[in-house]
Amino acid sequence: MKAQWKFTRSRKRAGVSVVVVGVLALGLAACSGGGSETSGLDGDTLKMYTWIGGKADKKQWADYVAGGVHADPEMKVSFTGPPIGDYYTKLPTVMRSSSAPCLVTFQNGRVNQYVEGLEPLDDLAKENNLDLSAYSSAMLEQLSVDGKLYSIPFNTGPTVVLYNKQMFKDAGVAEPTNDWTTDDFIAAAKATTKDGVYGFAIPQASNPIATLMAADGHPWADEDGPLLDDPNFKDALQLLVDLSNKYKVAKPLEAAAGGTFPDIDAFNTGQAAMEMQGLWDLQHAQESLGKDNVGIAVIPSKNGASKGFIGGSGFGITKTCGDKQKAFEAIEAMTSKSGLEFVTKSQASVPARLDALDAWSENAGSPEFATVIEQMTGDATPSPVPANQAELDTLLTQYEVDAFSGKSTVDEVLQQVKAGLAQ
Amino acid sequence: MTFVRLDRPEEEVADASVAPPGRPKGRLRRRPLGGPRWVGWAFVLPGLIGLAVFIVIPQVASLILGFSDSTLLGGTRFTGGENFARLLRDPQFINSVIVTSIFVLVYVPANIAISMAMAMWLKTRIAGRNWIRVIFLIPALSPMVANAAVFRLLFQQDGVVNQALAAIGLEPIPWLSDGNWALAVVIGVSVWQSFGYNMIVLGAGLDSISPDVIAASRIDGAGPIRRFVSITLPLVSPALFFTTVLTVIGAWQTFAQAYVITGGGPGNSTMTIMLYLYQTAFTNNQLGYASAIATVLFVIIAIFTLFQLWGQRKWVHYD
Repeated sequence: MKAQWKFTRSRKRAGVSVVVVGVLALGLAACSGGGSETSGLDGDTLKMYTWIGGKADKKQWADYVAGGVHADPEMKVSFTGPPIGDYYTKLPTVMRSSSAPCLVTFQNGRVNQYVEGLEPLDDLAKENNLDLSAYSSAMLEQLSVDGKLYSIPFNTGPTVVLYNKQMFKDAGVAEPTNDWTTDDFIAAAKATTKDGVYGFAIPQASNPIATLMAADGHPWADEDGPLLDDPNFKDALQLLVDLSNKYKVAKPLEAAAGGTFPDIDAFNTGQAAMEMQGLWDLQHAQESLGKDNVGIAVIPSKNGASKGFIGGSGFGITKTCGDKQKAFEAIEAMTSKSGLEFVTKSQASVPARLDALDAWSENAGSPEFATVIEQMTGDATPSPVPANQAELDTLLTQYEVDAFSGKSTVDEVLQQVKAGLAQ
Repeated sequence: MTFVRLDRPEEEVADASVAPPGRPKGRLRRRPLGGPRWVGWAFVLPGLIGLAVFIVIPQVASLILGFSDSTLLGGTRFTGGENFARLLRDPQFINSVIVTSIFVLVYVPANIAISMAMAMWLKTRIAGRNWIRVIFLIPALSPMVANAAVFRLLFQQDGVVNQALAAIGLEPIPWLSDGNWALAVVIGVSVWQSFGYNMIVLGAGLDSISPDVIAASRIDGAGPIRRFVSITLPLVSPALFFTTVLTVIGAWQTFAQAYVITGGGPGNSTMTIMLYLYQTAFTNNQLGYASAIATVLFVIIAIFTLFQLWGQRKWVHYD
């Protein structure tokens, strides 16, 4: 009887162990991501994970897919995803999950942090005879890590100044020229600041600093990370602080969650006359303020010879994708000349292929726009994307507020950010 | 009166029916309430599976990952206790512990005091008190992220709150630019959002107090303060204990308010432990280190909860 009881107990223990191991294995399997031939596909449709913040984003991706189908009628791509504020946070988890997609997208060349889950595209490009010289070389450089290409660009979004033409007219200020200086910019911001409306809306984090530095020909980062000790880095942040505290032409930055864009909201709702953003915001601004009411200008520089800061977007293929050839063919179609030309009929973002720029000028832009784009993309300051950019942006967003409130100097803020990055 | 169990064989029932009340046989006490043993397991199993899949396994996995340098996309290399040693010299983590401690010290008493005061007020026979209860419960029912997003708009530099202050001739307050004010906003929003739930629980506790006891204390000449301290508080202490334990646990896990309203800033003045954990895992891509933070947070919460469970013997009255 006792022996039987012992036997029963050991059997129970074994049973419980099997259940526990089974559940653990199931959990791990769920987290480990797939690798089968069907991974990342829904039937013969490729799954794409991207940022979708609302109707405008949904329309944008539908247009890129339509452009791809226009170039290759066999192509089938479906897309899902969260708003841009959550996208980069969720991306690694999604790439590692059992339902990982085949295609993912990257903005501002931010592939660096995700290369462990991405397929290098150099060999696929060779096998498919894709002519990479047709794409913006600055974008290809930005989307490469250690000499390997991880993403094919579909748009090239130089950061520009978007301005409200009506506000400039009301203030009696001449519209910016392509050789305007930082002093001209401050004068225009002063003139348009009135009645509770600011002349400029300051963006958060590293992008405005990188853009201002690039305009004067200074790179903001190298392969080791952001150049926080570079005096030009400090000058750029100091200018942003001065625009608020000294010149009183911009609202000071406040504590805010990452992934929010109060500057874009302010410009698109007529609360600011100028903003500094990637061209991807042009269409949204035109829809909010009127197509003919939004102008674009080069980034102001100290000597009036402004250089561009490129930050476009691209498609990548996950390592777990079950049919990488099919995924590459889809990227090829969506970034083909005819595909991108098709997209310019409904989207204002600048195509990453140089041979599609004419169609963009004709459909989405204007001769004046084309001049600005030419200057900003033609002579761009190389802008590497450091692996710790997300961390840097989080820390800058947190600490730069103290410079605007006067609690810390710009030097102190940069030291705090540096200390945070060292952790 | 003698109670008999209908699920026992007749002779057992007969046997039990003659046994002195309050002295059931030991063998009978150990028997399951009814049916084969697997029936009980069948009832418990869904809950156990949920507990294992959503609590125990992630907790064990997190504990193991805490001893590694795992990243979200990369491999895992075990590094012993390096992450835990690093926590001791990480000023950002130490700051997050201090910020969260301040949050707990202010938020928990404020929440309990307001909940208790509101529950006491609603115990009086005011008109529409059930509707008022529902109204105060609404913030607790709505998502914290949505509440926080609205409060962020209210407290920004040119938001409604500063406009109201200006309307009565007061200077605007740098709610989201000054670290102390920002933490005050995060605490205030948290209290506003959650006191309704505690108010309902404490209200139920107050309603269960027999009016006879209160009436007797009045006859004995006890004033309102004496009645509250010597009658109401002891009798509502089980509900008070329950709400305090849950509120303290929730306070240590504060995340959404700080994430949405301030992002942990200005500087790191509102960087709670959970927010730092989130940033470490998903922004800085250090899953192993974030898991070590999670383990330490678990230990902190466990210590506080055990301390409260131990302390309840001295002030909680279940009779």
